[in-house]
Amino acid sequence: MKALACAAVAVSWFVAAPAWAHKPSDAHLRLVASGETLTGRLDIAVRDLDGALGLDADGNGQITWAELSAATPRIAEYVSRRLVLGADGTTCRQELGEPALADLSDGAYWAIPLRATCPHKAVSLDITYSLLFDIDSMHRGLAHVAGQTVILRDARPVRVTLDAATSFTSFVKEGVWHIWMGIDHIMFLLCLILPAVFQRRTQRWAAADSLRDVCKEVFEIVTAFTLAHSITLVISAIGLITLPSRFVETAIALSVVAAALNNILRTVDARWAVAFALGLLHGFGFSSVLIDLGLPSHELIGALLGFNLGVELGQAAIVLTLLPVLFWIRRTLAYQALLWAGSGAVAVIATLWSYQRCFA
Amino acid sequence: MRTTAWGKPGRGRRKLTVLALGAIGLAAALTASAFVAPNHAAAAAPTYLPTDPARVVATVPARDPAEVATRQALAASPDRVELAVELARGDIQRYHELSDPRYLGRAQATLGRWWKLAEPPPEVLLLRATIEQAIHQFPEARADLDHLVQVRPDDAQALLTRAVVATITADYAAARQSCQAVAPLASPIVLATCEAPLDGIAGKADEAYARLARLVGAVRTGDAGVRGWALTALAELAYMRGDTDAAMGHLARAIAIDPEDAYARNLDADILMATGHTADASKMLAGRELIDSHLVRRAIAEHELHGPDAETLVLAMRERIAAAAERGDRIHLREEARFTLAVEQDAARAVRIARDNWSVQKELADARLLAETAVAARDRAAAEPVIAWARTTGVHDVTLDRFLAQLEVLR
Repeated sequence: MKALACAAVAVSWFVAAPAWAHKPSDAHLRLVASGETLTGRLDIAVRDLDGALGLDADGNGQITWAELSAATPRIAEYVSRRLVLGADGTTCRQELGEPALADLSDGAYWAIPLRATCPHKAVSLDITYSLLFDIDSMHRGLAHVAGQTVILRDARPVRVTLDAATSFTSFVKEGVWHIWMGIDHIMFLLCLILPAVFQRRTQRWAAADSLRDVCKEVFEIVTAFTLAHSITLVISAIGLITLPSRFVETAIALSVVAAALNNILRTVDARWAVAFALGLLHGFGFSSVLIDLGLPSHELIGALLGFNLGVELGQAAIVLTLLPVLFWIRRTLAYQALLWAGSGAVAVIATLWSYQRCFA
Repeated sequence: MRTTAWGKPGRGRRKLTVLALGAIGLAAALTASAFVAPNHAAAAAPTYLPTDPARVVATVPARDPAEVATRQALAASPDRVELAVELARGDIQRYHELSDPRYLGRAQATLGRWWKLAEPPPEVLLLRATIEQAIHQFPEARADLDHLVQVRPDDAQALLTRAVVATITADYAAARQSCQAVAPLASPIVLATCEAPLDGIAGKADEAYARLARLVGAVRTGDAGVRGWALTALAELAYMRGDTDAAMGHLARAIAIDPEDAYARNLDADILMATGHTADASKMLAGRELIDSHLVRRAIAEHELHGPDAETLVLAMRERIAAAAERGDRIHLREEARFTLAVEQDAARAVRIARDNWSVQKELADARLLAETAVAARDRAAAEPVIAWARTTGVHDVTLDRFLAQLEVLR
């Protein structure tokens, strides 16, 4: 009878095998090497940190923000003890930045910015990662370095060869991705381009006749925008001027409002000037992405160039796709609707954004 | 000059220019998207700081004082295997309750000191085999179980686990032998349930169904886990025989016993979808998408129904497949093949994944999957292993037989 009870108790252990759930325990380590400096971010699941360090102070199964932030020093100590970065066999000096939360598909992660200074410029990077394996044998560290993802399965050091070329292309990709995902940059550009097929003729507005004129104007606008955001991107990325991100994000949203309102009110005809003046703000926004990616503040020409090139490519793709369509429909009612109602809608939405970004 | 679509003569060249520009732009956008999209998983998520100190940022199992005491005792004397076994059992149980694989990893870590031993204590051997089975390391699980039943021939749990692993890997003689060895240790219903899939695969689904149905009907009490298991096995047999109503009836009872029974729920959803009740299948899995095998079925169902959640579910499934690939896991093959066939509609890829899956596990569901994807890909050669398997075993399953007949036409 004892054997039967034993068999019965654990039926689910062998029968319910297909119940593999959400992600197993993964931590993400993103690193960018530049010169002697490594910068990046480590994201660890809050649930995993609880397993290792017991964050749930009252033991009720709910980890509150208060409990998590109280454990910040313990977490930092745990991470600095268990993550060692090196360059070609030498050890780098590490500092952890101010952590924050990041929401991934399977819950909240603790994101810790990190920065390491190595004795020399790394040709290959040594990662010694021993987080969590002692409590969860199936934990994996996923190191994203120079366009590669390396799986860290145990505490043994792993060597990653850095390749300048992949690093450059990875920044180009980030640039393209950022402009496409950054709906505010796209909206801004759209608002500026939208009226280009509709030009002022002495006193009244009429559809442009010549595609060449339209292309010329759009070219001017895009060039002005590019120049402006490149300037502030560089200034900000090398740390000459840094602005608080809340201010930058709000200002970018307001710049979208301004560009949209200008389509309705027709205050400024020289939209290239608007593109330049307000484009300066967008450059600050791009640089915060680069900083999030962990961009070091020297020897960053390659990364900057790559990222900017990516932004321009992504932008050019949008303009080249849209311009012919706009030119085609410029005499139709649909175009008028797009110009007036579209600009109005963008103005309203961007106003809401600025409110959210400023006060939320 | 001929009047063009633009309404005025002389505009042909301009139209061409506009079209050319458009084509270049579109081509640039498409190239760039192919170039950019795969990398986006690597982009870091934006960070934030909550303002409300009481905000719950993560949920974990509530602290169990007894477990804490045991863990402390183990830390004080790390050699006490019985404490490690107790803790590991708790973690495996938690894995089954929450379907969170991180608890399997925790169980393994707790047993770390004994994990790599060639001959760990029998209790550790059983837990190691259970974990290996759960992460689809069937050869390793089998070796441990073979060893375990030698040192403990009366361990019913070990014998049943061995029977299941041997069935999955198509070693039917070993599975039958393990089931028989359980007979003197457990009730007849356990033996009949253990043998049900073996009889089904041997082409004796009718007899097996009659035998198990009689036992399930006769024994109204007894261990709930065993009853749920027996009802699910009964449903499998009914489905093999094409009696979908009976199968769904048995599954409804199994799910009533344990609403968290993922296996029974999946089978029920599969039968519902196969019989055209896609909306019902989706409904019964709604809110349970944390479990991959539920998510994939719901994504397929909503995709077919063009439901409002379709896009979210499909994206979630894609993300999960990508995340598993990123860490090098290959245990989602069954789900991935289904998804690739039904949603991505890439039959050629689906059949490759189904073949990889067949090399790992050979249950009836895996056979159906390989045959179905091969039919969709019009690739009879890919289904060769399943055709051979069906011929040797003499299996008769209404669903599989239909696919095999369709494959015959492709010959």
